[in-house]
Amino acid sequence: MKRASIRASLLIIVVALVAGVVAYAGLLPSYWVFLATSVLITGVALQSLGLVAGRTGMIALCQMSFAGVGAWTVGYLNIAEAPGGLAAWVLAGGLAAVPFGVAIGLPALRLRGINLAIVTLSFATAFDTILATITYPGQTDFLQVPRPELFDTDEGYFVFVLLFYAGIAIALEFLSRSRLGAAWLAVRHSERAAAAHGVRIATAKLSAFAISAFVAGISGGLLAGYLGTLVSDNFGMMQSLSLYAVAVMTGAHFAEGAIIGGLLVVMFPEILRRLDWPQDIGNVLFAVGATQALSTGETMSETFRRQLRKLLPAHAPKAAKAVARELPPAVRHAAGPALAIEGLTVRYGSVVALNDVSLTVAAGTVAGLIGPNGAGKSTFIDAVAGFLPAYEGRIRLAGKALEGMAAHRRAREGARRTWQTNRIAPELTVGGYLVLAAKGLSASETRALLDWLDCPHPDTPVVSVDAGTRRLLDVAGVVAARPAVVLLDEPAAGQSHEETLRLGQRIAEIPKLFGSAVLLVEHDMDLVRAVCSEVTVLDFGQVIASGPPARVLEQGAVKKAYLGIEEESAAA
Amino acid sequence: MNALLTSAVAGLTAGGTYALLGVCAVFTYRLVAVVNFAGAAIGTAGTFVLIALYEAGFPIWPSVLAGIAAGTAVGVAVGYIMTRWFSEAGASTKAAVTVALLVGLIAVGLRLTGGQHPHNMPELFPGSAFRLAGVEVTIASVLTIGLAALFTVLSDLFLNRTKVGLNLRALADRPMAAELLGIRVQLLSLLVWGMTGAFTTFALMIIAPQRSPNFMTLSLLVVPALAAALVGLFRSFWRTLAGGIALGVVEGLASSVDSISQYRSAIPFLVVLAVLLWSQREARWDEAR
Repeated sequence: MKRASIRASLLIIVVALVAGVVAYAGLLPSYWVFLATSVLITGVALQSLGLVAGRTGMIALCQMSFAGVGAWTVGYLNIAEAPGGLAAWVLAGGLAAVPFGVAIGLPALRLRGINLAIVTLSFATAFDTILATITYPGQTDFLQVPRPELFDTDEGYFVFVLLFYAGIAIALEFLSRSRLGAAWLAVRHSERAAAAHGVRIATAKLSAFAISAFVAGISGGLLAGYLGTLVSDNFGMMQSLSLYAVAVMTGAHFAEGAIIGGLLVVMFPEILRRLDWPQDIGNVLFAVGATQALSTGETMSETFRRQLRKLLPAHAPKAAKAVARELPPAVRHAAGPALAIEGLTVRYGSVVALNDVSLTVAAGTVAGLIGPNGAGKSTFIDAVAGFLPAYEGRIRLAGKALEGMAAHRRAREGARRTWQTNRIAPELTVGGYLVLAAKGLSASETRALLDWLDCPHPDTPVVSVDAGTRRLLDVAGVVAARPAVVLLDEPAAGQSHEETLRLGQRIAEIPKLFGSAVLLVEHDMDLVRAVCSEVTVLDFGQVIASGPPARVLEQGAVKKAYLGIEEESAAA
Repeated sequence: MNALLTSAVAGLTAGGTYALLGVCAVFTYRLVAVVNFAGAAIGTAGTFVLIALYEAGFPIWPSVLAGIAAGTAVGVAVGYIMTRWFSEAGASTKAAVTVALLVGLIAVGLRLTGGQHPHNMPELFPGSAFRLAGVEVTIASVLTIGLAALFTVLSDLFLNRTKVGLNLRALADRPMAAELLGIRVQLLSLLVWGMTGAFTTFALMIIAPQRSPNFMTLSLLVVPALAAALVGLFRSFWRTLAGGIALGVVEGLASSVDSISQYRSAIPFLVVLAVLLWSQREARWDEAR
C-alpha cells in the first residue's frame, strides 16, 4: 500500500517539477501561465469536492462557500497586517473553514445523500447573502492582498500555487490509501458494513467534511492572492453548483480528474471568449457532461483509466504466493466462553424473531448455528454485532457485557461478522479492503493471509473479483482482525463442492492459527458436520436442539424443521 | 404590534409560493421518487416566456397561458430525461441529476434572458383582497395560499383515495414492478412532471414581481421550497403547506427588524438544519443492507 502511494507521489512531484521549471524559465507566454495558475486553483477546489462527493458519495453544494471563508480570512489577516505573509494566511484560511465544514457535517452524521444536498444548498444561499452584506475585507478601499516577494510575478505565483497543489495531491494520495480513506469508500457503499469493521461512521464522515473544507479554504486563500481583491460573486452559489457538476463529470477524486476539471472550468470560457461567443455556455456543457456521467455511472477519469488499461499490455497481478509461517500471529484471548448469550429475545413489532435464545461459544472452538430460512439466524448475528435498535437478554463477549455498545464498538471489542450479501466497496483493492478490516498488518502477512484463503493478489481491484471469491475475502477480512469471535454468515453460499471442502478446512484452522473462536451460520450440513464441535438449531426463533453435530442432526425435530414434514408422514 | 402584523402579512405571498412549490416537491417525490432541485427553475422558464411575450407587446392573459404551457413542456422534458435514463437509479443519483439540470437550466436561462438585466414583470393580481385588523391582505397572497391549499387537498385525496393515486405510489417505490403490473409508468410519470411544472410556473408568475425577476433568483426559490418540504418530511402535504407559509411569515417578520433583515435568506438554512436534526434523531443506518 505504502509503496503505491510513494510511487504515485513521485509521479506528482516529477510532473510538478517539470511544470514549475517550464513556467519559471519563461518558456510560456505570461498570459498562459496566468491561466494555468487559475487551473491549479480550481483544481484545488475540485480536489476538496472530490473528497466528499467522490469518495464518501455525499452531494455537497457549498464548496465555494468554504473557499469564501478561506479567502475572507486571508483578506482579514491582510487588513490586520498579521505576520507570516500569504503562505501562513492561506493555511489559516483553510483552518478557518474547518469549523464550518464540521458544522455542516454534524447534521450529516445521520443524514445522507439528499438531505445533505438540501443542507449544503441552503447554506450556500445563506452564505451568499451574508458575504454580500459584510463584504470582502479591503473590497471597499481597494486594498490588495500582496503576494510573497519570492513569488510576486505571474510565473512566481504559479510556482507558489503549484507547491500547494502538489502538497495537497500527495497528502490526499496517502490519505486515500490509508485506513481512513478505505473507510470513506466503505461508508459510501454501506454504513453497516463499515461499522462492522469497527469504523465509527460519525468520525469517518466528519473527517471527510473537515479535510474537504480545509482544502477548499486553501483554494479560496490562493484565489485571494491570485486576484488581489475579491468580491462576493467569486464565491456565489452558482459557482458551487457548477463546480459540483464539473466534479461529477470529471471525477474530481482522481488526481487527473481535478486537473481536467480545472482545465475545463478555465479554458472553456477562454476559448469561447476568443471565438467571441458567450462564455456562460460552459455551464451548459458541464450540466450535460454531469448528466451523461451519472447515466453511465462512469466519470471522465474512469473512462480514461479504462482506455489506458486497454492500451497497456495486461499484467495481471501475480497470484499471492507466500509462506504459511508469514501468516499474522495468533492473538491470545481469554479462556472460557468467547461468546455467551443468555435469553436473547428480539421483536419486530408483534413478530418475535428470536425467543429466549441461549448459546455459548467456547474459546478456541468452532460452533455452528443452523436452521431453516427465516429461523432467525441472521437476526441473531445482527443482535450480537449491534445492528438492532433493541433486544432483550444478555450478550457477553469474553466475559464483557456488550449491552449499550454501538456496532463499531462491538467490532473493536472483538465481535466481528461477515454478511450474507456482499458489501465490499468495489472501488477498493483487495489489499485496501484488508487495511480497512485489520489494523497493522504487514505486507507479507497480508499476502500470506490472502493466499491461505485462495484470494487474489492485494493489488487486484475488488470490482474484478468474482462474487464467490468476494465471500472468501469477507472471511479474510474478519480473520485478519483476529478478534475474540468471528461470526460467519453462510460463507459457503455460492461456492463449489471442492471450494467448500477447502473452506471447511480453513475455518476449522481459524481458532488454532489466529486465536479466534468461530460461530458458523450455514446451510451446508456437510460443512457443519465437518468443522463444528457444537451445533445449535433454531426454528421460528426458538432453540430446538443443541449439542455435538453427530447427535443433534439425527434428532427428529431437527429433521422436521428442515424437511417441513414429520418422518412418518413423509413415509406415508 | 401593528407594524409586526403588517410585515408578517407581507410575507404571506412568499409563504404561499413556498408552500405551493414545497407541495409540488413532495408530490414529485412521493410519485416519482425524485427530490427535484430543478423544480423552481422549471417554473422560472415558464415565467420568462410570459415576460418575453409581455415585453413583446402581447396581451397578458394569453401570454400567461403560453407561459404555463411552456413551464409544463419544460417539466415534461426534465421528466423525460429522468424516466428515460434514470428510472432505475438510486434516489441520490436522481437528485444529483436534477442538480446538474439546475445548473444547465440556469445557464441557458441567464443566456436567453440577458443575465441580471432587469425585466418588466407585470403584476398579475394587483390590489388587496380584504383588510385584516387594519392590515391589507393582497389578492396575490390569498391566491397563492389558496392554490397551495387546493393542491394539498387534491394531492391528499388523489394519493390516498383514488386507484390511479395508489398505482402511482406503487410506481414510486418500484417502477419495474409497477411496469410489470401493467401500469403505464412512463406516461404517468410524465403527467406528474407536467402537472408540477404547470403549478410551479403559475406560483412563480405571482411572486416574480416581488423579487428581482432574474432567472437565477427565481430558480433558487427551490431552497425555501425544499425547506418547506422537509418540514413535511417529504411525506405530509399539510405540514409542508404549513411549513411554507410559516417560512414566508418568518421572513416577512425578519425583514421588518433592521438588524437582521439583510440576513433573512439565511432563514431556510436554519429551518432545514433544525428540522433535520430533529427528524433524524433516531435514524442510524443508511438503506444499504
